[in-house]
Amino acid sequence: MQRIVVPGEKLTSTPVRIENTISDKNGTYTCIMGYFDEDRKSLIPLEGLWQPRSGDNVIGVIEEDKGTMYLINLKAPYKGLALAKFVDAELSAGDVVSATVKQLEKGGTVMLLKPTRLNGGKIMAVSPSRTPRIIGKGNSMLKQITEGTGTTIVIGLNGIIWLRGGKIDLATTAILKIVEEAHTTGLTERIKVLLSGNKV
Amino acid sequence: MGGGEKPQLIINGKRLDGRASDELRPLKIEVGAVKNAVGSAYIEWGNNKILAAVYGPKEALPKHVQDPEKAIIKCRYQMSPFSSLEDHGRTGPNRRSTEISKVTKEVFQNVMLLEQFPGAEMDLYIDVLQADGGTRAAGITAAAVAFAASGIPMTDIPFAVSVGKVGDELILDMNKIEDNYSDADMPVAISPRTGDILLLQMDGNMTKEEVRRGLEMIKKAGETISKVQREALRAPYEKTLDKYKK
Repeated sequence: MQRIVVPGEKLTSTPVRIENTISDKNGTYTCIMGYFDEDRKSLIPLEGLWQPRSGDNVIGVIEEDKGTMYLINLKAPYKGLALAKFVDAELSAGDVVSATVKQLEKGGTVMLLKPTRLNGGKIMAVSPSRTPRIIGKGNSMLKQITEGTGTTIVIGLNGIIWLRGGKIDLATTAILKIVEEAHTTGLTERIKVLLSGNKV
Repeated sequence: MGGGEKPQLIINGKRLDGRASDELRPLKIEVGAVKNAVGSAYIEWGNNKILAAVYGPKEALPKHVQDPEKAIIKCRYQMSPFSSLEDHGRTGPNRRSTEISKVTKEVFQNVMLLEQFPGAEMDLYIDVLQADGGTRAAGITAAAVAFAASGIPMTDIPFAVSVGKVGDELILDMNKIEDNYSDADMPVAISPRTGDILLLQMDGNMTKEEVRRGLEMIKKAGETISKVQREALRAPYEKTLDKYKK
């Protein structure tokens, strides 16, 4: 049994440890809007912000070249920072880069590793809570879009997506459809129809 | 407030707009009215029309307002120059809007999980487009929905409503005329999950017993308000769900 829950709503009558919830002796309550699975006790965020974890793949725009480090705009309450001595290619302000999160530091700074420039293409921003659905289980959804459109897609978990080549408009349409219908079932099928319908 | 002749506010047990003493005005909330905001809500409560929008979290500026332990909330309540019959003609902050901004901010400081965003700020804008009494309560009710829709973690969706006194009778959710000529006015914001009182102001005199009864009326009305808030948040998602149910 799945249901949409809003902040303050009771999920269970016993304290259970679930992400984005608080609990007291009377039960567990959600702190975000989400989709709660009663049997698996899992809470999937419907609205949410990106919370950095080490290993996260993100996309950002270089904001400033400070000589020893690069400041990277991640469109998040955190500021990205990459040390220049670990960067091979020369980067300059305005470049779109993909990078991996090393760690979240005190004061809301995210240390980034291996920023690599993404040449050409275009970027789009979606709600970070939708990125897992766009990627799909074991990359399935992403693979489907890539194969159906021939577009190279890189997804940043901070909600920024980079696309280049192929049927870029169709890929964008598919992604926006996933964003809107992320909480429905049978989405993979509908995306398949969307992609094949415009293929011929 | 209210100079001149005092009108009779309760006639044959009915109020001027035909409501019973514990009856709310019609309430409608819509989510996502401001597309550029992280979360937003539009509320129509009686003749009140209010927009609430949330931006952030982002780096708090100027730097000296930052709290390294948690995020800060900045709130700006404002009445539009055209919102009311009375003179709210000048734009910009005044004594009244500064006070309401402050108490609204303090309501949300108690329900938001601010520790997750150290050094950040969240901006809340409440703009009253049309006013008919009880705008601070309606503003808080709308802002709570806007915050919930933004995805910023919060422990509860608070609601607010006012209760007032006319003679010996307590009336719920006062409109402008009742507000101006009543003997007392008490806006209250409550977190329905815990029952915590997040805002309690009072203008006029009420006895201990009247305050107790007033709070009971508010808690009862809160069930209706909370339901409307929750349904407004669920509505856009249930619309897409229904589309593919068949």
